[in-house]
Amino acid sequence: MSSGSTMYKGKTGQWAFVLHRVTGFLVLMFILLHVIDISTINYPSIYNSIHRLYGNVVLRTFEVGLLFGLLYHALNGLRVIMIDFFPGAIKNEKRVFVGILSLSLLLTVVGGVIILRPFFTGSVG
Amino acid sequence: MVVRPMNDASQGSSSTPRRRSKQNFETWSWFFMRISGLVLFFLALIHFSLTHIFTDVTQTTVAFVAKRWSNPLWRVFDWLLLALGLLHGNNGLRFIMDDYIRTPRRRAFTKAAIYSLSFALFVLGTITIVTYKGTL
Repeated sequence: MSSGSTMYKGKTGQWAFVLHRVTGFLVLMFILLHVIDISTINYPSIYNSIHRLYGNVVLRTFEVGLLFGLLYHALNGLRVIMIDFFPGAIKNEKRVFVGILSLSLLLTVVGGVIILRPFFTGSVG
Repeated sequence: MVVRPMNDASQGSSSTPRRRSKQNFETWSWFFMRISGLVLFFLALIHFSLTHIFTDVTQTTVAFVAKRWSNPLWRVFDWLLLALGLLHGNNGLRFIMDDYIRTPRRRAFTKAAIYSLSFALFVLGTITIVTYKGTL
């Protein structure tokens, strides 16, 4: 940190924090929806048609977004823990942020190809 | 000095005697977020891999769930994910509501609505996981 008493005002720390909030919020919204779709398990025809709907390309794209949200929130959470418990590691805070953002994007691309491919090849649903 | 964004809500300006107990609650809340976050790191990523990457979403049918839930350990896994996910998520949303909803009445109303909805869904999810008897 070059200046200031907090890493959450400006620069990478602020963006890490904003992204953490947004991804956390979106993942929670999905959990709420997910509890409802799973609760239809005792009505197999409804359950199966909901999950066929999830095979739609729009919802598959949301699925890739969820993957990014989960990965970023999980990895940045580790970064927050690192900052809290190992204040000495703070010198690397910025590099760690760039690292986890890159890793999240890389894994999202890999997962995204796997998630979206069946729609284009028409092999599923 | 390390400033944690998650505790913004606890950095109130008042210094009344009540502040001590609130700080204590926020300390536990802070600790809970780290521990549950660490557990969720594994639970959530394993869950997503198995049900979205290694299995296509259209193949996560009733039969898929019935097979998985025939092993009680997967029910425990899913219930832990449900409980910790909702607690961690609601506590995170509490910080967001404290930060952005400025009037006390609106804040109390929104919190009551969010917590009630989450509790209802926690009960629904628990009933779903515990009582499911499907055999394909």
